[in-house]
Amino acid sequence: MRRFTSEELERYNGKNGRPAYIVYRGLVYDVSESFLWQGGTHQVLHQAGRDLTEELETAPHGPDLLDRCPVIGIILEQEK
Amino acid sequence: MAQVAREMVAKAGVNVDQLVELLVKNAAAELTTFYYYTILRVNLIGLQGEGIKEIAETARIEDRNHFEALVPRIYELGGELPADMKTFHDMSACPPASLPKDPRDVESLLHVLVDAERCAVRGYSQICTMTAGKDHRTYDLALAILNEEIEHESWFSEFLGEGPSGHFLRRGETSPFVSKFMK
Ligand code: HEM
Repeated sequence: MRRFTSEELERYNGKNGRPAYIVYRGLVYDVSESFLWQGGTHQVLHQAGRDLTEELETAPHGPDLLDRCPVIGIILEQEK
Repeated sequence: MAQVAREMVAKAGVNVDQLVELLVKNAAAELTTFYYYTILRVNLIGLQGEGIKEIAETARIEDRNHFEALVPRIYELGGELPADMKTFHDMSACPPASLPKDPRDVESLLHVLVDAERCAVRGYSQICTMTAGKDHRTYDLALAILNEEIEHESWFSEFLGEGPSGHFLRRGETSPFVSKFMK
């Protein structure tokens, strides 16, 4: 499985034709094919290329919806 | 634009531009759902399909009513609808409720219907949360729409065998909650 640093992930923000990846609990999901993540933005409030673990806490749905999108990698822990 | 109305919402701590964008996206979801439900309703035929046609029609009309009720609020808050209908379709807060591959498969039609309603329930719950105690008028509207979306969800869910909806079909007028915004 592909490994990403946070800096690498930022490039996959869905803008200008780039793929849209998001992180939830250490896993990287590819949301590029989702109608609801066009241009890397989800419901106005959420941006791809980031770790959205905390943001999901306030969403009107749980992590189960992430199963609709493929996991393509893991995020590397930040070096201390 | 209702300048002071917008100012009050901003002053209460709501990001008005974000809220307006969400309202436009949800208005797009309503109007596109009205369109896609037309196709779904037409295809609800046969012994199984006919029984669902009536509620699909009620949900279709009420979704169009939701679109009608959202538009004035969008403009009051300084927003606007996109000039291009294709742009409007593609910015919908919910994916297209497309006819399933096998249109004779009533159960998959019901899944399309219930999924669309569930998406809407999530969307209006979010708008209610964002506006509660801050933007009273948008909250009132979003709550009215949410009430109807929840009933639609429970109707279709009942037909899928997920349990009783607890509701009866509409008798008489549609949009018992939203009609006050359409007078
Ligand atoms: C205020 C925040 C959010 C709102 C209002 C929101 C709303 C929605 C709605 C309405 C849907 C469609 C659900 C359905 O089909 O029933 C959805 C799907 C989804 N959401 Fe969110 N969401 C939010 C936050 C998030 C966050 C933070 C993430 C990522 C961690 C996320 C990931 C997803 C995914 C992956 C889907 C499925 C997309 C698909 O089916 O193609 N959402 N969201």
